[in-house]
Order: sequence, then structure tokens, then C-alpha cells
Amino acid sequence: MAILHLTRLKKRYPNGFIALHGIDLSVTEGELIVIVGPSGCGKSTLLRTLAGLESISDGELTINGRRVNELEPAERDIAMVFQNYALYPHMSVAGNMGYALKNRGVPKDEIRRRVAATAELLGLGELLERRPRQLSGGQRQRVAMGRAIVREPQVFLFDEPLSNLDAKLRVQMRLEIRHLQKRLGITSVYVTHDQVEAMTLADRLVVMNGGHVEQCGTPMALYAEPATRFVASFLGSPAMNFLPVTIHQGGVVLPNGTPLALPVDIPEGRAATLGIRPEHLLEATSTQNAGVILEVTIEMLEPLGADMLAYTRLPGLEEWLVVRLDGAHAAREGQRLSLTFSPAYCHVFDADGMRVSMTEAADAKARAVQ
Amino acid sequence: MRYQRLGLDLVSHLLLAAGCGLFFLPVWLAFTASTHSMSDLYTHIAPLWVGDVGLDNYAQLLSEPVNGLKTGMLRLLFNSLVMATGIAVGKIVISVLAAYAIVFFRFPFRRLCFWLIFITLMLPVEVRILPTYEVVANLHMLDSYSGLILPLIASATATFLLRQFYLTIPPELVEAARIDGAGPWRFLKDILLPLSKTNLAALFVIMFIYGWNQYLWPLLITTDANYMTVVVSLKRMLTTGDALVPWQDVTATAILAMGPPVLVILLLQRYFVKGLVDAEK
Amino acid sequence: MAYFQRSPLTPWLLLAPQLIIVSVFFFWPAWQAVQQAFYIEDAFGLSQQFAGLSNFIAVLSNPDYYSVIWTTVVFSLSVALGAMSIALFLAVLADRVIKGASTYKTFLIWPYAVAPAVAGVLWLFLFDPSLGLVTALLERLGIEWNHNLDGGQALLLVILASVWKQMSYNFVFFLAGLQAIPKSLLEAAAIDGANPMRRFWTIVFPLLSPTSFFLLVMNSIYAFFETFGTIDTVTSGGPGSATTTLVYKIYQDGFVGQNLGTSAAQSVLLMMLVGGLTFIQFRFVERRVQY
Repeated sequence: MAILHLTRLKKRYPNGFIALHGIDLSVTEGELIVIVGPSGCGKSTLLRTLAGLESISDGELTINGRRVNELEPAERDIAMVFQNYALYPHMSVAGNMGYALKNRGVPKDEIRRRVAATAELLGLGELLERRPRQLSGGQRQRVAMGRAIVREPQVFLFDEPLSNLDAKLRVQMRLEIRHLQKRLGITSVYVTHDQVEAMTLADRLVVMNGGHVEQCGTPMALYAEPATRFVASFLGSPAMNFLPVTIHQGGVVLPNGTPLALPVDIPEGRAATLGIRPEHLLEATSTQNAGVILEVTIEMLEPLGADMLAYTRLPGLEEWLVVRLDGAHAAREGQRLSLTFSPAYCHVFDADGMRVSMTEAADAKARAVQ
Repeated sequence: MRYQRLGLDLVSHLLLAAGCGLFFLPVWLAFTASTHSMSDLYTHIAPLWVGDVGLDNYAQLLSEPVNGLKTGMLRLLFNSLVMATGIAVGKIVISVLAAYAIVFFRFPFRRLCFWLIFITLMLPVEVRILPTYEVVANLHMLDSYSGLILPLIASATATFLLRQFYLTIPPELVEAARIDGAGPWRFLKDILLPLSKTNLAALFVIMFIYGWNQYLWPLLITTDANYMTVVVSLKRMLTTGDALVPWQDVTATAILAMGPPVLVILLLQRYFVKGLVDAEK
Repeated sequence: MAYFQRSPLTPWLLLAPQLIIVSVFFFWPAWQAVQQAFYIEDAFGLSQQFAGLSNFIAVLSNPDYYSVIWTTVVFSLSVALGAMSIALFLAVLADRVIKGASTYKTFLIWPYAVAPAVAGVLWLFLFDPSLGLVTALLERLGIEWNHNLDGGQALLLVILASVWKQMSYNFVFFLAGLQAIPKSLLEAAAIDGANPMRRFWTIVFPLLSPTSFFLLVMNSIYAFFETFGTIDTVTSGGPGSATTTLVYKIYQDGFVGQNLGTSAAQSVLLMMLVGGLTFIQFRFVERRVQY
């Protein structure tokens, strides 16, 4: 059942700025929802309205079936892990973890017991008497987690908790959070701007833009079938290639005149955008000559070890076409390359950036090719 | 990196030492004078070294009623202590609360309150001395500790300093506390006050010295010697009419009057410097 | 920032003590000062009569008032410039020597804690016409010192005592300002071939200008108000009115002369002056905060 339920949640600031335009979302027990989007998209505001740090202008928020719109943060049965940890500098680790319990009037013995158990779980047992400034970044992060866990709340809120850590520690803590979250069955809402973090952690992903939810679903679903051009461009690195096209005779035509047989469901003559991910552009071999062939020139190469990124251009086109080649590929800059791709991996977006579905027939054909 | 030139360093040290010495000289001469008898002082040029009376002048000063006053030096010192402590503690208490309200709350007329309090920074008590005197007289607070203390608390220096400090507290700390179930009073007690310890110590030093060194205000409102402060009593000792000024007593009183605040500044120098320099920002 | 919003009464409870004290001991008297400035009280203090601007006219048409303003300007500028230049000189030296800088700070900081009235007494003793050490030294140089008779000497003496007390305040700020200058800047200048003197005037001094401006305002305020104790113990404003500053005159007219109306008018004029000064400083501080 849904632990957290948002119905047309709106946030309007006194100066008239609307940060959230009616968000609908349900989070089920034990689920980890990641909210991702560029800065200013409203993801932090959303998290803060859930926490009760910002008031809700309109709509309803329930936690475990109880309306909490008007409740103070402490009464909502939530815990929050902050980006800069927000540990109390003058309190010990144990003091930080036990502060919420102390405020609730939990007996001292029980506080000690619960703090010790949580510290054990997080490997902080030795550090309970230390002050925050005596801890490393990773340890502080763990204390911030422990402070949340020890309260046994209904919902955990994470506000970009890993962005203050260095790259290596971030990967390690990411795994640790995922592990703990599954093990303790913690219902969580996690905000980040890092799409890799979002993809790897999420049970379900919510992509936000301009105060709206662009799309919500499992990471792979969003990756495979982005509902909007924004989602398509936001998820995946390097980003999806986009080419401007026009619709002609049930297919699309590239600006340089190359026709592609993609029967899409838009009226003749309209402008649209064709999207294809770098890993779906394949080098055409002489034996497998089916489908479309694009002749491109390699302008730049970026060897990444396992892969090699080739920045190529179609004659007469401004846009780069990024291709993911094998790391051991013998390509050189200036070399020509023949590319092919399956229509099944093509995404077409209309002028408003909305995904355009292929016609029934085209779909079936695409699957057959696959 | 510095130009490590031995000669220049030596000159710098010499000049600094000379500066320190020169600044100490008036105090030293006052001290040596306070260890001589009055007749000695008036028959010789100001003595550079401790005299044969030793600390007798001090002993006499502390045990007998002060010249022309019906009260003893100990009482004067005590009055100064009460006034300085009262001003320091009073200012800190009202400022902690007021600055807390202004920084951590949003309420109607907040800006107005801010300006009402901070406009007092502009006008020290000396400017409005006469009407303040009348107000205090109307409230029957002449010759009383509350009359000495309260009007001098009515300035926003400490509030301003604390506001500056509160503004540096990360907002997430307040949010974390709210999520942890701390209300406004608990946040003040458990988190804000422990975090402001150094700032409060600095404020105490500055305000204690400010209070101890007050002159014009206590001079005006105390006619009863039982409420006079030691700093004000100096002028009384100097105005002897036609008689010779008892310099051995005056210098001894000066030394006694500067003792406590100088001691406070030397002991709490670290906080004092931080407090002063932070106040400017 | 998240604020405490749930309890609309709490902020008023917190503000109440300060607001009450400020209203009773600041706004009420300040308002009375303004009011009194527009009234004349009879000799027995029994009745008051509205007098319009006549108190102000009386003050501003009296040539004595302008000589007091002139004394105040000379006194304040001398104190500010004297205390600041000595402090800057010593602070540059202390910043240079690195080793021992904090020891020198300890030895130079304590005059801040000495009351202006006590500072006055210490210097009065040094320059006492009959038994002062400096008086005796001056006599050997052929200079006759008696500040009870010579107005210029009296002014010089209160300036000396005031500078002596205020120097340490300036020293603390200049030293902090100097220590805050990034060493890389001086290194870059040294690499560019600037000698130490040049480095000071082209880099250090301009970077200290915000501190200097702040101190100029603070020193002026000090010279205006806090030096009352020094002046009262050393010269009582005399001889004649050679050392009477604006604040001292308010005190004399109001308490000694019992002339409430003109004293209040002077208070109002001084309030406007200081208000203007502080306003300039506030604008300046606001600007600095954004650095």
C-alpha cells in the first residue's frame, strides 16, 4: 500500500513564483523513489514540502493514510538526510543521533540502546564520543544516515546526500545506501541531479522539469521509452543524438535530404526531432547491409578504455552524431565511417518535445527486423 | 615569503618594544607615584622607581573613607563591578533574545522592529543625556543600580553583533532541529546558545569594559556617594579647591580603577579580538 | 531558510525586553529632546512656552557655537589621524616580524580597557605644572608648560590622552586587516619587482582602505562622545572654552547652565550630524558585506 501519497500538490511562493504545478505521486512501502532533474526544476522544493520545511499551497499530502499538510516536520514521522549533513557541531555522534529521541521524551536507557544498535549497523561503534569535525566526510555521511535510521520513521528523505563526497566515496556510499535501504525496507524519497546516481539507486525514477513531472517509471523504462525529448536528453551519458527531421510520405527526412523509412504517426510536412542513442549506432559491415546507412566523418575521438566515443558529422549537418565504438577500435580522426541502426531504437519527438508513437505497422515491422 | 633581512627585523623589534614601553610609561609613572608619600611627590620630580611607602597608600585608601566622600573605596569598586556586570549581562540577555527573534522568525512588522532597534546604534547616550536624565528622574531611578544600568543597555551594539553571527548559522541546522522535534525554545537552549559561546564571551568582555568605564552617565545620576563608581570618584579627588592635589591617592585610585577591566582584557584577549573584529563585518 | 512559524507570539516575547528598554530609555528621551528644542522654559522650570525655531536660532547665531564646532573638528581629526597613523605604523611592524606578533599585541591592546577618565588622569599627572615628569623635561628644553593657562597646550594634552587610549583599538583592526591580506598577492608583487616600500603603498595600503574608512568613522564617534571623561578630568572644557567640544557644551549648557532649550536644540543638531555619519557608515558596511 501507498505510504506516501501526493495529490495535485502545489507550491506557490509569496512573490507569485510557482515552484510545483500540481504533483501526483504514490510511494509504496519499502520503495526507493529517486527524483531527478536539473537545478531549479523543483525537486528540492518537492522534498522540502514533504518534510514540512515548506508549506503546501494546494493539494494534499498523506503519510500512511493521514493528512499531514498542516503538521510540523517533527510530527510527520519522517527523517531527512541533508546535503551538508547538518550535524550539530557541538554534540557528539551519540548526541546527534539521539537528539530527536531525547526531544520526544524517550527514556535515556532506550536512547542509548537504540543509538548503539544503529551505530553498530553503520560501523560507527567506535566513534560515538567524537565530534562531527573530528570525522571524515564519509563518516559524517554515515552519522547523518544514523540520525535518520535511529528514529525508525515511516519515510526517509534524502536531499542530494552524496554530492559533498569525492567521486570514489560517492560510488561506495551509493552502494551502501542501496544495501541498507533494501535490508531495512526503508521507504525513501531521494533527490539528486546526478543521473547515474538516479539510474543506479531507483526502484522508480521521477524526472522533473520546470515544476512538472515529466515522466515516472522504472529506470530502464524511462531509458528505453522516454516520454519527452527532455527525459531522453537527461538520462544517458553521453546524451542521445538529436537530428531535426521533416515528415514525408510516412517516413522522416534528414535536413540533408536523406530519407529514413520510419512510419510515424504525425501529419505530412511537420517538423520533428529524431533521437538515437550513441550505443545504438552501429558500424555497418559489408555482410549485414540491411536498413539505413549513414556515411559520416569522424572529427574527434575520446577513448574511455572500455569504449571509444566518436564525434562524427553527416555531410551538410550542423549537429554532432556521437557513436559509441568498441574500446579497441582502430578508428582515426578524419576517417569515414558507415553507420546503420535499427528503427526500433529510434525515438521521434514532435515540435512540443512529446514522444510520437510509430504506426502499428511500422512497429510490427521494426520488431521483425530486430 | 618575506624579505628576511636581519637588520630590518631588528629595527622592527626595537621600534615595537619602544612603542610598548612608551604606551606603558604613563601607567608605570602613576604606579611609582602611588608608592610615595605626598610630601615626597611635591619635593622631588616625578619618581621613576617604587618609593618607600610601598603599598601603604593602597591599604589606607581601601580602609578609610575617600577624601570628601562619605564612602569607602571598596564600595566604589563594588558599585563599578555591579554596574559593569549588570550592563554586560543585561545587554547580552536582551540581545540574545532580540537577535534570535529577528533572524529566526518571520512575523509582521519584523523590519520595523529591526529598524527600531538598530537606529539606537546611531545615538550614544551622551547625545540625549539631558532628556534621559529626566526620564530616569521621573521613574525615581536616580541614585540606584537600575538607574545606572538600564539606560546604558538601551543600545543595539550587542544585538547587531549577535545578529551577524546568527546569520552565519547554516539554515539546514535549523531544519534538522525542526525535523528532530526541537521547538524555538529548545533550539535556542540546545543548539544556538552552545554554538555562540565564544561570541558571548567576546560580548561580555566588550560590554564589561564599556560599563566599567562609563563616566558621564554615573556622574550625572549619582549624588549619593553610595552609588558612585570608582571612575567618577577620580574627578572628585582632583577638585580640591585651593589645596594641593593628593596625587599619591589619585594615582593609586587610577591604578585600582583600571585594574579590573585591564585584567579582563588580558585574560580574555582571544575572545575580545575576535569579538571586536567580527563586529565590524 | 526554514523559520519557526508555528508560534506567532514567541518572537514578540523574545523582542519584548529589548523593545521596552529601547522605548523607555531611547525613544522617549530622544522624542523629549526634539520637543524641548522647540520650547522655552521659564527660570523656575514651572511653565513651558512654544518657541518655534528660536532655540535653534539662538544656538546657531552665537559665534561661540562655531568656535566649539571648530574645536571639535580639530580635536576629532587630530585624535583620529594620530591614533590611526601610530596604530598602522605599529601594526605593519608587528605583521612584519611574524615571531612575537601576538606578544606585541598583548602589550599594546590593554589601553583599550582603560577608562577615558582614567587615561585623562594618567596624562594629567605626566603634565602636571608643578610635579609632572614631562613638564620638567620641557622646562629643560625651555618650554613652559601650563595647560591651565594655555588653551593650545590644554587641547594638545586632551588629544594626547585620547590618542593613547584609542590607539589599541585601531591596532587590533589594522593587524587583523594586514593578516587577512593574501600572501600570494605580496609574492606576486615581489616577483614583479616591487620593493617593500612600494609593495606597502601600492598593494597593502589600498587593500586596507575599507578598514581605514571604518576606523575613521569609529574614531570620530569616539572623539565626539567617549572623550567626555578625558576632557572633564583634564581640563573641564577650559581654559576658557579651549577644550569644549559639542558634547561637552551640551552638558555645560544643560546641567551647569540649566538652559534646557538650547541644550536640547544642540542635542538635536548633534543627533542629525551623527545620524548622517552613521548613515554613511551603514551604506558602506552594506556594500562591504557583499564582497
